[in-house]
Amino acid sequence: MIRILREFEGGVRLFFHVAVRVGALRRPAMRESFLRQVYFTGVTAATGVVLRASAVGALIIAFTINVLDADVELAVKILLWVVLREVGPLAAALVVILRTGTAVASELAMMRISGQTEALRHLGIDPYDYLVIPRVIGVMLATAALTLYIQFLAVLGGMLLSPFMINATFDELSNRFFELVTPVDLYYSIIKSLLFGFAIMNVCCYHGLNPPDLTHNAVPKAVTRAVTQSAMVVLVINAVFAYLVFGVLFFGLVTARV
Amino acid sequence: MQAASATPALALRYACKRDGRDEVAVSASASSVHHFRLPDRDAKTRFIDAVLDARCGRDEELELLGEDVARLKPAARARLRRRVGVLTSAVPLISNLNVWENISLPAAYHGTPPLDSIAEAARQALAAFGVDPERLFARLPDELGTFEKILVEFTRLLVATPELAVFDALGDALDSADHARAARFEAEYLARQPAGTLIYVDLTEHGA
Repeated sequence: MIRILREFEGGVRLFFHVAVRVGALRRPAMRESFLRQVYFTGVTAATGVVLRASAVGALIIAFTINVLDADVELAVKILLWVVLREVGPLAAALVVILRTGTAVASELAMMRISGQTEALRHLGIDPYDYLVIPRVIGVMLATAALTLYIQFLAVLGGMLLSPFMINATFDELSNRFFELVTPVDLYYSIIKSLLFGFAIMNVCCYHGLNPPDLTHNAVPKAVTRAVTQSAMVVLVINAVFAYLVFGVLFFGLVTARV
Repeated sequence: MQAASATPALALRYACKRDGRDEVAVSASASSVHHFRLPDRDAKTRFIDAVLDARCGRDEELELLGEDVARLKPAARARLRRRVGVLTSAVPLISNLNVWENISLPAAYHGTPPLDSIAEAARQALAAFGVDPERLFARLPDELGTFEKILVEFTRLLVATPELAVFDALGDALDSADHARAARFEAEYLARQPAGTLIYVDLTEHGA
């Protein structure tokens, strides 16, 4: 219980540190680190992992249409409600946790254990400034960008695949999709993915910089805690955000009173 | 009229008590080279930590470049720390940055001095030891030998132009040829900082 409270307090302190010190990104060393993080998370992930995640999005719609014997209306609603609003941000978050979250948690834990974070402090460099802020802001933006890639490819994949399974053309599906989609859907998923990126990096940086002890055995423990807690935080944010925006929780099992 | 800043007579004064008795009491006059021999590893670690942080514990007294560190406010402490350089294994290279990024990191973070001047000073320092700077700059610390790592740490110290440099014992990791090369660090430092103060820190024979 005490550990949970300490971790919560640490996460909140990191949150405020990033919020207050974000202007430090103007420094050349921080800008370099920020761009490197955006490249690692947003660009290198965009080639292989995003294509696979997009294929998963397309498969979800294909499977759902097949099982529900869906028509154009239902197929497009599934594309919009499931793939665009939920699967896109969640798939991006999953990619970020598995790829960047593990890398950051292990990298920071190794730096802490080998005395490199202390070395930064001795060089007059605040480790929280230099190590945390570029990663948090960089991953936030990269998660939003990844979400857009995945949404675009998953919706496109779903539309290209659906005509083979239901009696509808690509044009019918796309016309109906653009009738139903609203700016709220886009804002909702982008803001949610920014929150996901922030939360994932906050958790991973905290566990990387605070491993359970200072031996090499602590690295996998720090990574495991970072990944499990990141996944939990993402699910909680997803549920709360869906309830706040659309008044629906757990796929409609809980509905807000209007 | 602006008052001229006088060079302090003492570059460093340090005293440490253990169990109520004086354990260490050392001082170093400015613009000279000194050799401190401390009684044991614990005393050496406490001394190095105090100088690195410009901060002293309850049983310690430390004056650096004429300033009593116990009375310093955080901003003044940060400024003082930038005037002091310590070559020690307690400040290793950052493993995910290449040599150039390691050398330029403090300047890139603080925004001063300009990176061009850092690059030029680093090239000259490395070339003085017969190392090709361009080849070394792109390598990661894990790809370097023991002497090369110490040389890069020394270069990082040198380009920061500290008024006071403290060299922690280089240890037994270097062979005799590398020890001979490392002995030239003093000349290189004094060539760039003629008014600088250099302190070597080691253990007494008993402490070692």
